[in-house]
Amino acid sequence: MKQKMKSSIVLIVLLLIGVNVNAQWKKNKANEDSKIWRYDLECEGIGKQGSKLVKVWSYSKNPKHAISRAMKNAVHGIIFKGYAGGGTGCTPSKALVGSATKVEEHASFFDAFFLDGGEYLKYVSAATDGNIGPGDRLKVSRREYKIGVVVNVLHGQLRKRLEEEGILRGLSSGF
Amino acid sequence: MKNMYKSFFTICLLFISISIFSQAKKPTIMVVPSDVWCNQNGYMLNFNDQGSVVSIPDYKRAFQENAEVNQVISQINGMMSERGFPLKNMESVIKSIESNAAEDNMRSSKGSGSGVSESPIDALKKVAKADIIMQLTWTVNRTGPKKSINFNLQGLDAYTDKQIATATGTGDPSFSAEIPVLLSEAVIAHMDNFTSTLQVHFDDMFENGREIIVRIQKWNDWDGDLETEYDGEELGIIIEDWLADNTVKGRFSTTDMTEDMALFEQVRIPLYNAKGRAIDARRYTKALSSFLKKAPYSIPNKLVMKGLGRATIILGGK
Repeated sequence: MKQKMKSSIVLIVLLLIGVNVNAQWKKNKANEDSKIWRYDLECEGIGKQGSKLVKVWSYSKNPKHAISRAMKNAVHGIIFKGYAGGGTGCTPSKALVGSATKVEEHASFFDAFFLDGGEYLKYVSAATDGNIGPGDRLKVSRREYKIGVVVNVLHGQLRKRLEEEGILRGLSSGF
Repeated sequence: MKNMYKSFFTICLLFISISIFSQAKKPTIMVVPSDVWCNQNGYMLNFNDQGSVVSIPDYKRAFQENAEVNQVISQINGMMSERGFPLKNMESVIKSIESNAAEDNMRSSKGSGSGVSESPIDALKKVAKADIIMQLTWTVNRTGPKKSINFNLQGLDAYTDKQIATATGTGDPSFSAEIPVLLSEAVIAHMDNFTSTLQVHFDDMFENGREIIVRIQKWNDWDGDLETEYDGEELGIIIEDWLADNTVKGRFSTTDMTEDMALFEQVRIPLYNAKGRAIDARRYTKALSSFLKKAPYSIPNKLVMKGLGRATIILGGK
């Protein structure tokens, strides 16, 4: 009886370790996929005041990773990339932080900001309950997917946060 | 111990004064419907000026009769306030000018019964004004049942007449959306681009100084002119040298120079003087005025200002 219990406990512990390792491996894999910030950003329409409705196309070998990284990519895109346009009615949007020197100067802030579960999550929400449109799941090569996710980025609040941090100048700063 | 308190107090005061003086003079901004919009929507006043018909925009009637213009201006004002830059509201400015004029007409001195002094120039200056004008135009495009909005917002420097910010484009055509909804969308779509171009202008201003216009004129009865020589140098050249020495990186352009007048454009002035106080065109040109009043020139002169960015010195008297 005692022997049986022991082996069950060992089995459960091994199982838990296995699940944890698997989750960590998946996370690392997803991070690896998005490490080089490979994504495309386009305007999806006119959002509410202070927000931008964008479709972010993320690339990954695993479609699930692409979806999970969409929010991070969208916030990154609004801060560093901007977009040239999209459908009719969309206007181009400049990157909030255009200068490369600013990125280097505040590297530690951005590293912490874009950590998994980091502050970036405060400024983005899924616009379509996380559903992917039928034409937005593309297999671009034998081993790679391109997934389009529509998200809403709180552009105004994000800009204010960067102003607080001294990364951006406010319109009235200096006056 | 008492001495320490005193020093601490002095340091605090110093910091407070530095923080007060380190703020540059903030330009005022006002949204104004463009002449094109007023003309297309029938808000013009026509009058006969010695035989030729002159049309000017009737802003008061536009604000009283057109709800859409109020909606767009209100939305723009709100978005600019959110960015920490509240705007002057033109409708309120017009009302203030009218009520001030009525009060001034009624006011009389308790002792002598005298009215408030006002020169013809003062009367002429009683108009709605701002340092930066946001000129607003929109047109509704209709193709069958489809409607779209063509939106154009221009930021114009009231003194240099330069366009310093812009946002323009055509919105998404819609079968069902009403005009106010399309207008609201247009404002949301374009304001970020407008403010980012305005930010570029402010950044440039902080780096290279405020851009102003300086005019030099002379009174008819003054016996000198800009070609009068002092120590072998013409007065016009002396003024140019002063500007070269006192502008940021020596930047200015001499647009016009005759014996009677000179016009200097793109004059880049520092935002603060030697004492760390914020300066505008008037405070800057006051230094030139004082320079000309002193020997060897000894030219009495009058300094006239127009907002933050334009100043005129009239030589030969006050």
